[in-house]
Amino acid sequence: MIIAERKPIKRILQMIEPFERIAVIGCRGCVAICSAGGDREVEILAAALRLARKRQGRPLKTVEDTFVRQCDPEYLTPLGELKEKVEAVVSLACGVGVNLAADLYPDLKIYPGVDTSFYGANPALGEWEEKCRGCGDCIIDFTGGLCPIARCAKNLLNGPCGGSQNGKCEIRPEVPCVWHQIYERLKARGELEKLTQIFPAKNWIPAGHGGPRERKRPDLQMNSQK
Amino acid sequence: MSELKLAILCCHYTNEATAQDVADIPAEVVIKRFPCSGRIEVVDILRALEEDAGAVLVAGCEKGSCHNNTGSLRAEKRVEAARKILEEIGLSPERVQMAFIPRLDTGALVEAAKRTFETLLEISAKGETSS
Repeated sequence: MIIAERKPIKRILQMIEPFERIAVIGCRGCVAICSAGGDREVEILAAALRLARKRQGRPLKTVEDTFVRQCDPEYLTPLGELKEKVEAVVSLACGVGVNLAADLYPDLKIYPGVDTSFYGANPALGEWEEKCRGCGDCIIDFTGGLCPIARCAKNLLNGPCGGSQNGKCEIRPEVPCVWHQIYERLKARGELEKLTQIFPAKNWIPAGHGGPRERKRPDLQMNSQK
Repeated sequence: MSELKLAILCCHYTNEATAQDVADIPAEVVIKRFPCSGRIEVVDILRALEEDAGAVLVAGCEKGSCHNNTGSLRAEKRVEAARKILEEIGLSPERVQMAFIPRLDTGALVEAAKRTFETLLEISAKGETSS
């Protein structure tokens, strides 16, 4: 899922400083699962903002809602009515949701309430770990299912580097060296021969270095011109 | 927020204290009950402050005695989360206190409420205005 984290409240207070009526809108997708922008976080942030503004002597009125998702246009339609009732919206969706709302409702003042961090797993309650970089050219069939792009600090394709010590990364010693893990995993699976492949320099265009990425499925596009 | 209002958010099974039990505290004391202190959310604490409480006491069962096992431990974590939010908005985190109270020991709850009120007076004495 997409992992996000609430921005500092002082930063959000700066964003909404000119306004007296705002909406705090959450998303029941990834950000709800990672406890950054679901129903619970919406009501906490709204209460915190009201409390802070009350203390400043400038009371704030809030509308609170959480959409099923903010990355699909159909779920954003309530924003059309909402923008008539409030002066601004703080969205607790990931950056995708805020961008889509800004695309669809250009006259709506919408601000991000979270920092979108990474694609991660939830190995234990209250813990999230990056597992994928979304690089668009997956090679983990060669690496025992472990991604050296996301999980190696140097994104090495032919690791480990000389800084791998006792199975740990030299950048952050508490982090396992993924290339060490890849070796151990492939050895256990009897697939060590996969390491004989030398990967050439990575093409980063599928990773987004060629500009914003898009994907189209003409068989699903009802309004396709093709 | 009022410097003279104290909110007690309390597990229903931890204690059955009434307003009469805390009548000695020279403040308006509001007791709000929950089916378990683990049900007390961060937003309940913030809303109590919004509703003019100068300080909030969250009361749960002693560690190891919650009949839902981890209710009061969860409450403690939510108190910590609420305190961090108060720090972020420039209020003393000590405005929110956690107390682990022996089951049905009203005396212990009243003592915790008095300590919370004293903490509130100390905060006020430092000149921190809450509203």
